[in-house]
Amino acid sequence: MNNWRFKEIVVMAALAVVFGVVYLAFLPLGSLLVGFMGPIGYDFIFGIWFIVSIIAAYILQKPGAAFLSETIAAMIEVLLGNAVGPMLIVTGMVQGIGAEAVFAATRWKNYSTWVLIAAGMGSSVTSFIYGYFMSGYAALATEYVIAMFVVRLISGALIAGLLGKALSEGLARTGALSSFALGKQQRKDAA
Amino acid sequence: MFLQRLNPSYKAVTIIVFIIFLATIFEPVTPLLFLIWTLAVTFLFGGVSLKKYLLYFTPFIIFALGMLWTSIAFADTPNNPSDTISLFGTSLPKESVLTALALSLRVLNVAALSLMFVFTTNIVHFILSMMQQLKLPPRIAYGVLAGYRFLPMLKDELMIIHDAHRIRGVNQAKTMREKWQNYKRYLIPLLASAIRKAERTAMAMESKGFTGDKSRSFYRQFSIQKQDFIFSIIMLIGFTISYLISYQLG
Amino acid sequence: MKPLLQVENLSLRYEMEKQNVLSSLNFKLNRGESVLLLGPSGSGKSTLTSCLNGLFPRELDGEMSGNVFVHGVENRETKPGERSQAVGVVFQDPETQFCMMTVEDEVAFGLENIGIAHQEMEEKIDSALALVNMLPYKKTDIATLSGGQKQKLALACILALKPELIILDEPTANLDPIATRDFISTLKDLKNNLNFGLIVIEHKLDGWTEITERVILLNQHGEIFHDGSIREVIKEKGQQLKEEGIWIPRVTEHILREHPYLQEPPLTVEEYRRNPVLLADREIDQPIKTESNTVPLLEAKDISWTVNKHEILHNISLTFHQGEFVAIVGANGSGKTSLSRMLAGLRQPTTGNLLVHGKPIKQWKESMLRQEIGYVFQNPEHQFITNTVYDEVAFSLQWKDMRPSQVQEKVEEILDTCGLLKLKHAHPFTLSQGQKRRLSVATMLIDNQSLLLLDEPTFGQDAHSNQELMKLLHKKHQTGATLIMITHDMDLIHDYATRVIIMKDGRVVEDCSPSELWKGDPEKLEAWQLTLPVAVQLKNIYEEEVNDVLTTT
Repeated sequence: MNNWRFKEIVVMAALAVVFGVVYLAFLPLGSLLVGFMGPIGYDFIFGIWFIVSIIAAYILQKPGAAFLSETIAAMIEVLLGNAVGPMLIVTGMVQGIGAEAVFAATRWKNYSTWVLIAAGMGSSVTSFIYGYFMSGYAALATEYVIAMFVVRLISGALIAGLLGKALSEGLARTGALSSFALGKQQRKDAA
Repeated sequence: MFLQRLNPSYKAVTIIVFIIFLATIFEPVTPLLFLIWTLAVTFLFGGVSLKKYLLYFTPFIIFALGMLWTSIAFADTPNNPSDTISLFGTSLPKESVLTALALSLRVLNVAALSLMFVFTTNIVHFILSMMQQLKLPPRIAYGVLAGYRFLPMLKDELMIIHDAHRIRGVNQAKTMREKWQNYKRYLIPLLASAIRKAERTAMAMESKGFTGDKSRSFYRQFSIQKQDFIFSIIMLIGFTISYLISYQLG
Repeated sequence: MKPLLQVENLSLRYEMEKQNVLSSLNFKLNRGESVLLLGPSGSGKSTLTSCLNGLFPRELDGEMSGNVFVHGVENRETKPGERSQAVGVVFQDPETQFCMMTVEDEVAFGLENIGIAHQEMEEKIDSALALVNMLPYKKTDIATLSGGQKQKLALACILALKPELIILDEPTANLDPIATRDFISTLKDLKNNLNFGLIVIEHKLDGWTEITERVILLNQHGEIFHDGSIREVIKEKGQQLKEEGIWIPRVTEHILREHPYLQEPPLTVEEYRRNPVLLADREIDQPIKTESNTVPLLEAKDISWTVNKHEILHNISLTFHQGEFVAIVGANGSGKTSLSRMLAGLRQPTTGNLLVHGKPIKQWKESMLRQEIGYVFQNPEHQFITNTVYDEVAFSLQWKDMRPSQVQEKVEEILDTCGLLKLKHAHPFTLSQGQKRRLSVATMLIDNQSLLLLDEPTFGQDAHSNQELMKLLHKKHQTGATLIMITHDMDLIHDYATRVIIMKDGRVVEDCSPSELWKGDPEKLEAWQLTLPVAVQLKNIYEEEVNDVLTTT
């Protein structure tokens, strides 16, 4: 815990609140999709869950940022009154591990587009494995399960990876990140 | 009420344990019975308002129904396809129907367990007790609480940004690209302001002597008492009975 | 005896910045002494706060040299968090100083940090809240407090730790004048009873000179250019103060405007009373004559607004003509902002009608309406939608049928008027507060709307940017545009407005010209929580004195 500045932790929490609100805005859409298509409906928007860990990791560029931010995001979600309750924290940790593993594989040195996309997909993988056991996907037809997995991978890659990258960079341009790794790096590039 | 008086962390862990138990069960009777048990405990010992409960529970029912029909429609090939039951005039493999029922009931049961927690717990106290009972680092606990305070401010800001953009004549987005542009126009200022707020708050908290050190005293103290064990025993009895009855029925 | 605070040769530079934020600062503060620290925005005032309470150099990305001693102990020799017990800070923004939900938990947070035993907390919380008269709010949700109450709570949190030095970092910048006065008077009482040292960081002096007259002045390079009495500074360095964007007390400013060579100008109204000098009546620009028989620009007919069964605006009828400069005043929560949003067509009234040029607002096409009515929001950032200053202004022209060269010419002309031309490639969010404000006004000026609404445009601005802003608005008014401005600043109203509308509890309780308002019943003004503008106060005092002289001789 000691290599973290307190402001970095509050920033992660603040990001989580913003996307908590965004997620709540998308939830009705997800529920509607589930009604028509079954559990695969949520998979389309599943990437929003991981976006905080991608943004936090990209902004802070520190070991543990993806995991910690996703865990914090889950706690915030519980505070916001998500009916899933305490179980969500476990879910958040599982998702965070996926993205963190990808960053760890680059020794937390590489934050290129492909790594960010892979990290988004990493969260998709761990969250899917978790869902497979907890929600009993085993009972579903293999083709359907594969379809779910593919949709979730794409959602993780696009919504979390690409969107997360675009938002982080847009944010860096506003100067709001001047005291964080991404902002500093950008200023160095500009200089 | 009894449920409200429990230690929040202990309650959370207990509920998570039973959710994991449920994940190992693939027949419908246990989750059905345990669902009834959970509901009974919630209303008997939690005094939850039925209206409010239904408001939260209904989406899960819809979700469970969606789960039910897709699990039947997209079920794995049954081991015993000749064993069918007829439902709504079509004959379906019995095994698929039972598994689908089991999964849907699991969803409902997990929902009921979660709601039991959500409706009887002060969530801020939950975070505070996680720090005291579950060794959650104070930096994370207070960071999360500080972030949570931003919620009403962000909601207000979202509304103001919406108005301000209307004044600027930001047009109704038609194409996907324009929609994305518009979302970005909302999100970037919102995120920028959230980050600056976070930095200011962190500094204000550190200025009050907050270091994240574990040796701090607590104004609101939480502890684990006899009643907490009683709660887990009540839940365990419920689960065991449900499981045994289901076992008896085969 | 060692001084309470001693700063020696303190310099600080942030990572990747070329210039120092603070340069070789040296000053001392004795036990129980107070000082006002003044400087323009960007002079490193807030950075200094972090140095004094020990956050820097520990949390600093950059270099810090020199020493800060509190009671002879260097900050670097203390453990993290230890210093904050001796040095407490109240920050500028009332919204972002808290991490808990209720008042009592927030005060407890500080006590927990320093490990006060559980059984002692309750009593300490109560006594700290009692000091700032907030005890009745002990169990209250912080989100429901007003800005002024939040600042008092922030003060209570600090006081609970029994600090020897309190630093207030622009504590009233986000408060209205009434809350500001209340905060300063609370602090004055505390200062008399508890003997703490006090550093007030400000760019406005009004009210604070009653607490202390010692000032330390920082310039834009983060150097001290004066440490001594405020009276000396005004006498010797008045011009420099102005250039650095520091607000000298309004009374003083007003008198110096007429008597620039006065040796000892008064700092407060009370001082003026002791020694009044003649002040000429200043001519107010006559409003462009409005013809009441023409179709009014904007007409509100008996509008009410109800949200969640809670009526926010009650039966308001108002008519606005071309060329008016209207000020809307009233306490926080009186419905000013709601009314202005409604007048701009951003909210639909629950009952009643709004007419723009005689045509119901509902019949207007949104895009046409926006070319008639502009609105400047309180926080300029909310209005920014592009990535550069140039695009921001050009965006407003996108639907106009103009050649690119025309657009460029027009945009650059406006940017030049607003003093932003050099920054045209900068990202709007990276501008200073004053620049952001001018940019948000520029985006509204370029469209030539006939009506411009402004929600507290001078909020949180330093003296210099405020002047620039009012110049722009004045120019716009001179072209015949109608301005409707929400403000707390009575001096501004006196100097610019042609009409004042006073709101109270969602109703319009007065609608008249400023001069009529100043002549009106003083008790009514009191009830609406308004004060007379400085110019009028001084004039009244002068006339009283002259009358006294006349009647006694």
